[in-house]
Amino acid sequence: MSAISYAWRSLWRNRRRTLITLAAIALSIMLVQAFHNLSVGVYARMIDDGVRAGSGHLAVYRDGYLDGREETLSFAPGVLTAQVRALPGIAQVLPRLYLPALAQSSYDSRGILLIGVEPAAERAVNPFLKELPEDGMLRDLDSRDAVIGKRLLDDLKLAVGLKLVVTAQHRDGTLHSELLRVRGVVKTGIADVDGSLLMVGRDRAAQLAGMPGEIHELAIILDRAADESRVFPALATLTANRRELSAVSWTTAMPNLANAIKLDYASQKFIFVIILLIVTIGVVNTLLMSVMERLREFGVVLALGSSPARLRRLVLLEALLLGTVAAAVGCLLGALATWYLVEVGIDLKSLIPETLEFGGVVFDPVLRATWDLAWMARITVYVIGLTLLAALYPAIKAGRVTPAEAMRHY
Amino acid sequence: MPLITLDRTTKTYRHGSLAVPALTDFSLAVEAGEFTVLAGPSGSGKTTVLNLVGGLDRPSSGTVMVGDLDVGTAPAAILADYRLHRVGFIFQSYNLIPVLTAAENAEFTLMLQGVPRPERRRRVTELFTELAIAGLEERRPADLSGGQQQRVAIARALAASPDVVLADEPTANLDSHTAEELLDLMRALNARRGVTFLFSSHDDRVIGRARRVVRLEDGRLVADSAAGG
Repeated sequence: MSAISYAWRSLWRNRRRTLITLAAIALSIMLVQAFHNLSVGVYARMIDDGVRAGSGHLAVYRDGYLDGREETLSFAPGVLTAQVRALPGIAQVLPRLYLPALAQSSYDSRGILLIGVEPAAERAVNPFLKELPEDGMLRDLDSRDAVIGKRLLDDLKLAVGLKLVVTAQHRDGTLHSELLRVRGVVKTGIADVDGSLLMVGRDRAAQLAGMPGEIHELAIILDRAADESRVFPALATLTANRRELSAVSWTTAMPNLANAIKLDYASQKFIFVIILLIVTIGVVNTLLMSVMERLREFGVVLALGSSPARLRRLVLLEALLLGTVAAAVGCLLGALATWYLVEVGIDLKSLIPETLEFGGVVFDPVLRATWDLAWMARITVYVIGLTLLAALYPAIKAGRVTPAEAMRHY
Repeated sequence: MPLITLDRTTKTYRHGSLAVPALTDFSLAVEAGEFTVLAGPSGSGKTTVLNLVGGLDRPSSGTVMVGDLDVGTAPAAILADYRLHRVGFIFQSYNLIPVLTAAENAEFTLMLQGVPRPERRRRVTELFTELAIAGLEERRPADLSGGQQQRVAIARALAASPDVVLADEPTANLDSHTAEELLDLMRALNARRGVTFLFSSHDDRVIGRARRVVRLEDGRLVADSAAGG
């Protein structure tokens, strides 16, 4: 017999109570792990969609551009584009020009955002452009082809193949117009985007605005989102000798999405804390009851020569065993739940509209988890730590037993 | 030099504002190897004397010495060590740990002392044979009779080879036949091992088997057979 064996057997004196507590701890670990992994999966998907259609994982701007998206704050990327492409971990580099403009058809006119892009590079990463048929995409940088948002198309009563005129302010202050032809239609599900998006080749847009070779944004898509912290310093080094430029991460370039995720995860964390708090109270209750029921036995153990510190350690050991077994069961359940959420996911199509917008991106109604093993391990250690913390008061109580009193009164 | 000395020892318990004297001006000297019974009715102070000698309680005044240790004033850590190495306890209601087997209960103090498991088991097996409970090592207390449980408790008290065994009404919960058997066994162990036994009882049949009888009433010593009382 050892202290571990004594603690283990003591734990199972009241089998039902211990099982209920163990189940509560294990289920809380499962819930917290599964929901965290689900959130990480959903956020990762949203970020991926967001960066591919938006600013990229990383982006380079002229200083001050992000404050007001002032179109005069453009820059000529020069060799920077090629240098960035040469960095390890880069999937795509997307030079873009953003111009406020007016689109007119024979029937109506609308204020729009004209985006000048490199068609092949954009199509390789942008999930909405990927869905376009081959003959629905811009052919080159200088063509008069236009890809238009679905709502804008409807507002202007246009159709694929029809013409429209786009007017924008030239750098010299005059208004310049271009005749374009609708080649493709995108439907992102985001009302603002679908109602104002007009995409053309970058050279065509630059020519209209009188800023040849210039861009407003150099969006960078990484092979793996996790590489961001590694690639960012390399990018900052490349831009260091161009003082007018700043490298930023997607969280700065797309604050709406970053803040929406932060807020959502904060509320989830709050729920996690509540769950763990309830479990902690359960553990305190179990161990305290177990201690109170054994005051006489503790008196005997002290009379036999045990020190109060040894008794305290015994109660903590019981908590450690309870926490460890519950953590093992909880991790197993958490892994099973995560596996299901990764492989099958939760389909909310019948509950939410397909075009539900969240933080500026369309919310995928099929929620899928992603494995976050480091976090799963961390929360497991936290829960075991919490169990030990919950055992502190019962342990102190056990250490305060006076043998004569305990044997006289219990 | 006596092994146990209580010198004008007084113990008063407090119940709120009420002071309840349990032992008053009590003096006693017990030599090593004695087999002494503290006799007296309930509330006469027998358990208080055993608790004081065992270091489970502290005197309100006077001294309690066991060998050269002042048990009444020693720090808690010293007292825990004293109980672990020099005293064995036998309780009226056995007080075995229900989740441990008979052998594990008997070797509990040895485990606290850090004695290796094979040595613990060897000593306990020897004691179980001596106490005629060999073969019951793996039984839980709930599966043992009262007499068997008390024999396991005696084995636990003796396993660490203490200087003194303190037994509080060790036969009170047993039938008379088992009680007499157990008393004979304790006497035999006292003779064979030379361990000092100090126990309490209010049962005349038990008291009659003791070599020395110390009588208490209302917390005072009223007679001591060693002193010709």
